Amino acid sequence: MLELDHIEVCHGLATALWDVSLKMAAGELVCVVGPNGAGKTTLIEAIAGLNRITAGTLSMDGASLNKLARNRFCDQGIAIVPEGRRLLTTMSVQENLELGSYRAAARVHRQASLERVLALFPVLKMRLAAPAGTLSGGQQQMVAIGRALMAQPRLLLLDEPSLGLAPSIVLEMFKAIRDINESGVAVLLVEQNVAMALEIAARAYVLEEGRIIAEGTPEKLLTEPHIRRAYLGEA
Amino acid sequence: MNFPSWTLLGQSLLSGIFIGSLYGLLGLGLSLSWGMLRQINLAHFALAFLGAYLTFQLTSVGGMDPLLTLGLIAPAFFAFGVLMQWLFSRFSISPFNSLLVTFGLTVIIESLIQWIWTADYRKMDSVYGEMKFKIGSLYVPLPELLTLIIAVTLSLSTWALLRYTDLGKAMRAAAEDPQIAAAFGVNEKRLALLLSGLAATFAGVAGLCLALSYTLSPSQIYAWIGVVFAAVMIGGLGNPIGPLIAGIVIGVAEAMTMALISPAWAPLVSFSLLILVLLTRADKV
Repeated sequence: MLELDHIEVCHGLATALWDVSLKMAAGELVCVVGPNGAGKTTLIEAIAGLNRITAGTLSMDGASLNKLARNRFCDQGIAIVPEGRRLLTTMSVQENLELGSYRAAARVHRQASLERVLALFPVLKMRLAAPAGTLSGGQQQMVAIGRALMAQPRLLLLDEPSLGLAPSIVLEMFKAIRDINESGVAVLLVEQNVAMALEIAARAYVLEEGRIIAEGTPEKLLTEPHIRRAYLGEA
Repeated sequence: MNFPSWTLLGQSLLSGIFIGSLYGLLGLGLSLSWGMLRQINLAHFALAFLGAYLTFQLTSVGGMDPLLTLGLIAPAFFAFGVLMQWLFSRFSISPFNSLLVTFGLTVIIESLIQWIWTADYRKMDSVYGEMKFKIGSLYVPLPELLTLIIAVTLSLSTWALLRYTDLGKAMRAAAEDPQIAAAFGVNEKRLALLLSGLAATFAGVAGLCLALSYTLSPSQIYAWIGVVFAAVMIGGLGNPIGPLIAGIVIGVAEAMTMALISPAWAPLVSFSLLILVLLTRADKV
């Protein structure tokens, strides 16, 4: 479904991603792990159309998205849960969720999508009218995921969904991500919480200094000493 | 101090509301482009005066009904606003630079007005000009009443547009985080063009109201800037109703100062109010 073929992304004059190739099949749950500053956010934003790629090809179902306007990426079925959530803090929770279903194809299913999101995160039911900025971190993350689901994605991009959340909320978040994936949505997860990410992912990529240095099933990656040392804190 | 009669006070209150609604109407477009497009559009005032002169020309020379001139002026101004936003976005003009660029534009429009209509005072003769009616002992001039109705209608409909429609919500989302809005399908560049076109149209409408009630001269462009800025700051940037409410508060405060103390003190009021508001709700401005 999604294919990145030797892509490169620059921020101004600095190259943030070098020669990154990545493939995802429909319905797959894939995670990208790596240290801070490795380019994980750059990668996920490039797939969402927020960063332009400077070389290589980004394609969905074989059609290149290189030249696509950034507001058309969601029509390809791509939805992002960005790092730091980036909710519209002055707008209500409901307005934030509705923004997710702005694109015409998702707008006709708005009511059904909203019900689905509220079934996934019932706690939001009571907060629909509240300004999104007044919610707790965990609830804001739920809104961010809900907003992306409202777009009826085929591919959900999650950038550090556990960042800054209490451990019990993190567990809930990972359970929700697994549920979403089991409902047929492909998930690309970027995480610093490597142990938990590898636990739910079918395949993983390791990104360091803008390059993919390893890929494979979690079982395979966990046998590599470098990865055990760098990400699981083993001596 | 002689306490003025109740009739005089009532008449002052009324004229305060009327001039305040014009402050609010001028502030509406300014507030939208400042709060939602991050442009401090000084040229808004020059545009309003251009609209006023065009209304004057079409009515006095062309013989049109002043209200019907909007049929020509509104689309032309909308197009101008769209063009302006296109240029601003094409050259990525920062908020601060927008102040400089639009100041230049103000001077250009002022010269243009002076070149076409000279610096002489112009007063539009229209069927509305002399119409007034009486409520009790108070006179209500029709042009001012029209201004109030137009200001309230435009402010409320803009508010409803931003509050209740998908288009308006997308505009607010794009104003807060253009990248995220785009990621969910909002064509934020096109919405910015639309918003800028609307703001310029509002300038044209304010021009009509200026022409209905006031004597025009090119230098008058600058007379409105201070107090309308105050109304926009007090009312809240990007807020479509705030400038109208703040404008009316300022207008009434000014009119009351004139009636109770002395006309010379009136300008002091709006800026004292502005400073007071900035001090007390600095977090919100």
